[in-house]
Amino acid sequence: MFRTTAGTRRGLWLFVVLLLFLVFLLPKQSRGLLRSIGQPLAQIVSLPLNALSSVDRSLRDAWERYVALHHVADENRRLQRELQQLRGRNVELQEMVVASQRLAKLLEFKARLKPGTVAAQVIGRDSTNWYRSVVLNKGERDGIRVEMGVMTSDGVVGRVVKATPYSSVVLLITDPNNAVTGLIQRTREEGIVEGTAEGRARLKYIPLLSTVRAGDVVVTSGLTGGFPRGLAIGTITRIDKEEDDLFQVAEIVPEADSHKYEEVLVITDPRPLGEGEAESAASPGEKTP
Amino acid sequence: MKLAVYAGLIFGLVPLQTTVLRYLSVAGVGPDLCLVAACLVGFLGGEIEGLLVGLALGFAQDLFSAGTLWLNVMTKGAIGLVAGLVGRHVTNATPATLLKALVSLSLLSGLTFLALVRPEAGWAGYWAAAYGILLPETAFNTAVGAGVYWLIAGRMRRAQVVQGGLAGFVR
Repeated sequence: MFRTTAGTRRGLWLFVVLLLFLVFLLPKQSRGLLRSIGQPLAQIVSLPLNALSSVDRSLRDAWERYVALHHVADENRRLQRELQQLRGRNVELQEMVVASQRLAKLLEFKARLKPGTVAAQVIGRDSTNWYRSVVLNKGERDGIRVEMGVMTSDGVVGRVVKATPYSSVVLLITDPNNAVTGLIQRTREEGIVEGTAEGRARLKYIPLLSTVRAGDVVVTSGLTGGFPRGLAIGTITRIDKEEDDLFQVAEIVPEADSHKYEEVLVITDPRPLGEGEAESAASPGEKTP
Repeated sequence: MKLAVYAGLIFGLVPLQTTVLRYLSVAGVGPDLCLVAACLVGFLGGEIEGLLVGLALGFAQDLFSAGTLWLNVMTKGAIGLVAGLVGRHVTNATPATLLKALVSLSLLSGLTFLALVRPEAGWAGYWAAAYGILLPETAFNTAVGAGVYWLIAGRMRRAQVVQGGLAGFVR
């Protein structure tokens, strides 16, 4: 396709040198340049990405429906065999109770964070094996910006690290490159939550005299941008206390399961509902909780 | 035709990598299709094609990865360039040469990522990443690269046979 004449080769080396010069000597400018070149490319790549994701989703749904149908058939056979109509009715009622509880929880959750969130679908995972991140189908056009927090009704998912007009990349809380300030709910001590190589998270910088124990819940402290105070991060499973260390480290199992989320909420305004109104209503010297 | 194939690679591989490839992955690690493609294009098409396709693939990959916007551009571009140089300068380049190049370039690329993405992991973290990501990814890349090369070589052989047959018929 390309004829490798001496001129072409010279041009190629010049291009490589220029690229290296740009990336290593002018990192900020090159990042801006790469971002502006990348936006149209990202838009084009988003199209097959969305198409593949919807095919993947519909195939998965079809498979799940097929499996579900099998379950229903089994259940039907069992019910016919047992001839217990009342028992079937009971199961139905129990299902309705569970569903209404779930919906009530979701409604309450949505009501608490409704004004500052954007719902988005997870359409892919990181394109390399080196980061734990997910790709969302919403981007700058929907108000999503870098550094915004992302969550599900279970708890914190991660934060946005890249945003193009039609998609965004979220670095998960379990990635070793991610750090969020956390708060132990029971003892009110703060620390930094970091991901680990094993796909879990750990809370660092817990004071040595802290009474933290396994089973304690860690929530967001609200000190760093992106997350409101009090969102569940995870539950402590183990505490490492070395003799010479100045701090304790606790291992956390995240509340939100990274393999299961399909829809997430991006927090565009980390203030809980009513805080803004409360601020405006309060007198200048008064502090709002 | 070649240009269409390259465009297909650039716009199609990253969506494939981010969506359906997770079904092929083991413990969260799968093949790096962009790396394999850059290496194959370089090896078969020469260093210029390898470099340019590698740069474009790396750039598209960087847009949908949490890493900085140049890491994949540089590594994939370098892989395409080196694979092209290997393919051109090694006398009697065989499939084994390609596999050796793929293994070496995969390992080098992985080591670059390890050093830049996990700089403060410590030795335990490095070993964990080497055993958990670097080596399985290299094995995956080699297997996928060998499979794709086998398919391409088979197709090229068939095309040569058809061409030879037609030439004999015309003569």
